Amino acid sequence: MKRYIFKRVLISVFTLLAITLVLFTLLQLMPGSPFNDEKLNESQRAVLDAKYGLDQPLVVQFGRYVANLVKGDFGVSYNISKNTPISQLVQTRLPVSINVGGMAVGLGALVGLLLGIVAALNRGTAADTIATIISVLGVSVPSYVFALALSYVFGFELSWLPMLYDTKAAFASSILPSIALSMFTMASIARFTRNEMLEVMGSDYMLLAESKGVHGAPLIMRHALRNTLIPIITVLAPLIVDLMTGSLVVEKIFSIPGVGSLLVTAIQSNDYNVVIALSFIYSAMYIGIMLVVDILYGIIDPRIRLSKDSGDAASGRPGFFARWAKVWGGSSKKKAVKVHE
Amino acid sequence: MNLIKRLAVGALAGVLAVSLVACGGTTPASSAAPGASSAAATTGSNILNVMVEVEVASLDPQLATDGTSFEVIADYTDGLMQMDSTGKAVAAIAESYDLSDDGMTYTFHLRKDATWSNGDPVTADDFVFGWQRAADPANASEYSYMLSDIGQIKNAAEIIAGEKPVTDLGVTAVDANTLKVELNVPVSYFLSLMYFPTFYPINRAFYEGLATGTFGTSPETVLSNGAFVLDSYEPATLAFSLVKNPNYYNAADVKLDGLNYQVIKDSQQAFLSYQNGDLDIVKLSGDQVDQVTGDPELNVVGAGYMWYITMNGHDVPALNNANMRLAITNAMDRASIVNDVVKDGSVATYTAVPPQFATGPDGTDFSADQTRFADVCSDDAAKAAEYYEKAKEELGQDTFTFELLLEDQTETQNVAAVLKEQIEKALPGVTLNLKVEPKKQRVEDIQNGNYEVCLTRWGPDYADPMTYLNMWVTDNSNNYGLWSNTEYDQIIADCTTGKYITDAEARWSALYDAEKIVMDEAVIAPLYTKADANMIKSNVSNIEFHPVALNRVYKNAVKG
Repeated sequence: MKRYIFKRVLISVFTLLAITLVLFTLLQLMPGSPFNDEKLNESQRAVLDAKYGLDQPLVVQFGRYVANLVKGDFGVSYNISKNTPISQLVQTRLPVSINVGGMAVGLGALVGLLLGIVAALNRGTAADTIATIISVLGVSVPSYVFALALSYVFGFELSWLPMLYDTKAAFASSILPSIALSMFTMASIARFTRNEMLEVMGSDYMLLAESKGVHGAPLIMRHALRNTLIPIITVLAPLIVDLMTGSLVVEKIFSIPGVGSLLVTAIQSNDYNVVIALSFIYSAMYIGIMLVVDILYGIIDPRIRLSKDSGDAASGRPGFFARWAKVWGGSSKKKAVKVHE
Repeated sequence: MNLIKRLAVGALAGVLAVSLVACGGTTPASSAAPGASSAAATTGSNILNVMVEVEVASLDPQLATDGTSFEVIADYTDGLMQMDSTGKAVAAIAESYDLSDDGMTYTFHLRKDATWSNGDPVTADDFVFGWQRAADPANASEYSYMLSDIGQIKNAAEIIAGEKPVTDLGVTAVDANTLKVELNVPVSYFLSLMYFPTFYPINRAFYEGLATGTFGTSPETVLSNGAFVLDSYEPATLAFSLVKNPNYYNAADVKLDGLNYQVIKDSQQAFLSYQNGDLDIVKLSGDQVDQVTGDPELNVVGAGYMWYITMNGHDVPALNNANMRLAITNAMDRASIVNDVVKDGSVATYTAVPPQFATGPDGTDFSADQTRFADVCSDDAAKAAEYYEKAKEELGQDTFTFELLLEDQTETQNVAAVLKEQIEKALPGVTLNLKVEPKKQRVEDIQNGNYEVCLTRWGPDYADPMTYLNMWVTDNSNNYGLWSNTEYDQIIADCTTGKYITDAEARWSALYDAEKIVMDEAVIAPLYTKADANMIKSNVSNIEFHPVALNRVYKNAVKG
């Protein structure tokens, strides 16, 4: 197990480094520079480039960037907030995004689970159809449409909740954006839960439990739901990070002082350092969460532990894409795992 | 292992729970109706709620370059002079000034009752320090040219180029309340530069007592000498506030108790927040103006900057032909563009210097008469056709294809699409292909001469026609088409450093001569002068709007 974890961590670090290099190269290819304004003449731009080291070769810039990064220094912002250390910008903004994203995941997971269970238990009835319609809407309508609609109805017409984020009422301000953001998670989880639940309900051990005289709530809660939950956790984790990237537009609509709106502004104004830093942070979070999931998954699912003992830790498990394919394809996880058993 | 499994599931559930609790935990006010709290802020007090479209880029007056930063810095900082409601420079920290007979030395006498918010008096040395920072190449101030090219302060150009130490800058503190400024040549508009934030003072002792790089990053790291004091702020924040400065020398005339700023990037949300009562002033997009036409709260003010077409005569032979350029200029229907496309109160412009920002010695707008050059620039397809026939004859060809470069903003793209239609219709045989680029790339391309025709804009840096006319002299970095005319260069030189500098009226009429050359040769095709359409609550008055330097000034504003 230790070797497995060590290997995973090492891969993660290299992935991050590779991502940073790609970002660096891509930004160089991007048109314009951070200092490109009608008001600046050539010699002024040269002075600015020299001041920030942008006149150096890419390799030198990258080397210096990574060296600073190791020390936790993301550099300074060029445009959005001149000369402000990016770590300072992120420090105040990341918690806001995590708060809103966290609420959205929590809400989406809870409602999604409920919807999925109701649909599975009432398969083929009107409740199932309604749950399916909600899922389809949640997946297909972009979150900013929900955001605009919610903001208009509950913020503007009814004035129940703030239309714009107010740091003095952070919780109330987070409700509408969280709901808007949670729709996709909710819909995904609902569909996934329904499929998984139906499969569990039809399994042999459920039949055995039932024939042993277990009925109603105990049967659903202890036998069906518990076995459904485990795979759901693995889809939920990447959804958490997806939410943060998906929040770019929603943050703009509600004027949320989070990292998403910062990234949009940074890209528009060629604020290289901010773009790289935020992309790096997103990647790090994503990789980090995937790492945790991989490790937890190994702990939760004995089949993975067993396969690890044979010295082949990563290869046999359903990977990220396989898990996602399952959400939409409805194929059986059990089958996927059985392949390597 | 069963225990580990349980723990693992529990841990994940815990993370979720914590994230939810954390959200709830930060909000003691969550039980209070949030809508009510913001409404109370609007109606219950004398605080103005202002919307801006972008974050403050810098609170460092010598580094800031954008309108929002300037507006906020000026909320809490006074320079030597300030703008009156018409944009004229009037006394602020300087209660009076003397100008030497040769027009090259200003001596400002500072008022003795002006203090910084830490209690220190505002001294002449604070200005020396601020100006030296602007010129210091180590700071790479983007607006350093305000001191050198435009302000013509002695030694500024050499200091910026790194050839002289900053202490050589032609500004000296004679004593605590007397500031002497030496210029290379007389500069007729010099006083109007003094309200530009690049020329604002900085308390030297306070600045030097701060940790490096922290100046202007919080209310604790700036000092106020103006009408308001920064109350809450952090870099790139989307909401911040200022309160009235009780120690301001003119505090009796400041009617507001404070200002709440909210950054809103989505124009629809901004307008709804205004209708909601959360905002007292909001800027509208063109489409929104359409919805509120005739509303008494609608307030259209000139934004100063002019959209124009630059034609690259240096690299495109057909555009080197003046008749071709004149044909394009006259083929455009500017009235239709402002009325049917832009629709926000922007003004069709037929002069190389746009109206509404520069007033002459007689107090009138330099470009009030938009028909001054009507013989060479008007919305006249028939005249365009005449020029076009001449151009075809001179060039010996009758089909032309040009690429029109523009940036990826909605309004610009709409305008370009209509321009293409108008020009192609008026000049049969001309094809305009649109090329859309992100703004930064568009700017880079025209600066490198890598374009044929480009829709671009320019905002005035100071209240003098020279801020526009100076661009067309040979080798100016904004003379994208590399047009050159010795007679023109001579007039501009005479008006900048030569024979007209001490005679305001002669200079004014010489500037018209220069403008006539630009128009006769169609160096550029002016298009329209942008306006800002604001909605302002009916109980708010006396917000001052200016097209130059400080777009909005609140120190005289009244609410309620």
